[in-house]
Amino acid sequence: MLGPSIAWYLSVAGFLFGTGALGVLLRRNPLIVLLSLEIMLNSSNLALIGFARHFGNGDGQIFALAVMAVAASEVVVGLGLIVALNRKRVTLDVDRLNTLRG
Amino acid sequence: MIYGAWICLLSPLVAAGLITLGGRRLSRRDAGYLATLSCFVAFGGAVATFIGLLGRDAHDRRIVSTAWTWLSGGSYRSGLEVMIDPLSVFMMLVVAGVGALIVGYSIGYMDGDPEERRYFAYMAVFVFSMLLLVQGGNLLLLLAGWGMVGLSSYLLIGFWHDRPSAIAAAKKAFVMNAIGDATMALAFFLLIKQAGSLEFGILGGAYSSTTANLVALGLLVGAVAKSAQLPLQTWLPDAMEGPTPVSALIHAATMVTAGVYLIVRTHAIFESAPKVADLAAGLGAGTLLLAGLIALVQIDIKRVIAYSTMSQIGYMFLGAGLGAYANGMFHLMTHAFFKALLFMAAGIVIHALAGEQDMRKMGGLRQFMPRTCWAFLVGSLALVGIFPFAGFFSKDSILAAAMERGTYGYVLWIVGLAGTFLTGLYTFRLLFLVFWGEPSAFVREHFHAIKRDVVGVSMASTVALLTVLSLIGGWLQFAPLWHPVETWLQTVAEPVVTPTSWQEGISSALAVVLGLAGIYVAWLVYGARRVTVPHFAFAQRTLEHKFYFDELYDALFYRPAVRIAHACRRWIEEPLISDSGRELGEDTRDVGGLVARVQTGLLRTYALAIASSVAVLAIVFVAVK
Repeated sequence: MLGPSIAWYLSVAGFLFGTGALGVLLRRNPLIVLLSLEIMLNSSNLALIGFARHFGNGDGQIFALAVMAVAASEVVVGLGLIVALNRKRVTLDVDRLNTLRG
Repeated sequence: MIYGAWICLLSPLVAAGLITLGGRRLSRRDAGYLATLSCFVAFGGAVATFIGLLGRDAHDRRIVSTAWTWLSGGSYRSGLEVMIDPLSVFMMLVVAGVGALIVGYSIGYMDGDPEERRYFAYMAVFVFSMLLLVQGGNLLLLLAGWGMVGLSSYLLIGFWHDRPSAIAAAKKAFVMNAIGDATMALAFFLLIKQAGSLEFGILGGAYSSTTANLVALGLLVGAVAKSAQLPLQTWLPDAMEGPTPVSALIHAATMVTAGVYLIVRTHAIFESAPKVADLAAGLGAGTLLLAGLIALVQIDIKRVIAYSTMSQIGYMFLGAGLGAYANGMFHLMTHAFFKALLFMAAGIVIHALAGEQDMRKMGGLRQFMPRTCWAFLVGSLALVGIFPFAGFFSKDSILAAAMERGTYGYVLWIVGLAGTFLTGLYTFRLLFLVFWGEPSAFVREHFHAIKRDVVGVSMASTVALLTVLSLIGGWLQFAPLWHPVETWLQTVAEPVVTPTSWQEGISSALAVVLGLAGIYVAWLVYGARRVTVPHFAFAQRTLEHKFYFDELYDALFYRPAVRIAHACRRWIEEPLISDSGRELGEDTRDVGGLVARVQTGLLRTYALAIASSVAVLAIVFVAVK
């Protein structure tokens, strides 16, 4: 097999996943949170492709396509929510958006 | 004949059911007619049974007719059965006959009462219960009838339920009856354990003296409670809160005599426990004296007659306890006649004076209601036991029987004779205070005669019939000469004592003399008003407080019970039951509040929760592997 071993792919994917997770937990702007979520999804895609290359079959690639479809629909919904919030002149700060509480 | 007995038993029940189901579709008067008709039908059934029994040989007069097996558990069987024998037929005739007359009288007395239908339904239920009691084929059915007459008594005493005194009296009657029911049930448990069934035949079996004494004692307490004897007599005067026909039927003629019937029916076990039988006689003697004394200071017409009932049942207990069963039962019959007569005549007086019962306001009614006065006079003479009226024949035989029993018997005999004097005194005190002398101002103002419509006719005719019965009823048994009652009851309850003619003569003579002496003293004090009663404050107070029995029971039983109830409520019910329910709700809400704090509404909290859970799961996954 040519190219780097699977360990490199997985470590990049892990690094990306951690970055995305930190972004989801720590950033205040919901747009950035969504962006971080996208990074996390892409990292899992990368891992899937890596494994597909390692095992030599196309299962991982097919599954990566499915994940991309889900990610796209999810972004549509999320962005729609954020645009609606912006139109209502509500502050875009997740720390302040806590009226749905117990 | 068997059909006659079942018709007798069920006819009042059918009437009660019809009145209840008919409701407003039946006019109030019609309810009364229906109830009276059913009682007359019952009487017809009783007569048919009587004739049927007469046709049989004397030793073949015991039939038990079973409808179906009612209860069975283990080896115990109890059928829904009706007993037809001389004693039950005797009681059936008395209960149905006098009951029919009194229910007929009620049509007039209760006319105009808004709840008349309920009254007649209850009366029909009572007659049914009493018939069940006397016709029950085994002790269990007797107990069922026993309880139901207690219930009917409670319902009828408290009939005018907006009077708090009536409700209190009804509760008192029921609670005291319940004491008797409890002891009777215990006696029955003992009998089931020893003999395995509750048929009447087992009473003659051989039991250890402890068992016999306990069973007899349980039965005696039950009889004492039902018949208002010492020491459970306090409910009877209060029971006069009910309508007068109720007092006549339940608290004079039938229910209170159920105790006497019980002792005669279960005489076999009393004969096995002679000490308890002597106790019964002693309690009867004590009651008749006590009641006679208290009756001397009563100012309410009905209460005088109530104490008189208590006293006369004391005589019956005396007779039954000594073993003179036929005499006791005969006195039961004649007493039913003249006591119902006295109550009903008193009811006519009360109605004529618009509900007034205080004797001090009355006087001189002889001029306004001569026939009622005559009826009252006949009833009073019968009560005191003057020849040739009914009481003479029955009461004196009981006294004669007391002479047969040695020293104890002589003591009872003297008490009985003293009671005769008191009877004459208080009865004629009543008569003279109400009917003699000049009409009082109250009478002049409030008297209104009873009209000659259905109301008047129903009251007058039934009273007239009972007057006739009080006149001639006693002639049924003239002890030394002819005694059909004793012969009739002989196969059921063989008398233990049979007085000689000589004893009968002495007793009768003394009793009549003492009775007349009592009447004479009453005439002097209340009739001619020539002598005034010396005023002994202590005696007056004691008698007016009825020998302080009510106060004693109040202190011994009622107050401690109330205290215990309050303590239970404060220490057990409130903290454990009512508070715990409320606290459960409060605690649940507090916990909910704590849990709700997890939902901060902040996105990052939820994301952190998800992330940390995933991390933990991953670690666990790896560690387990």
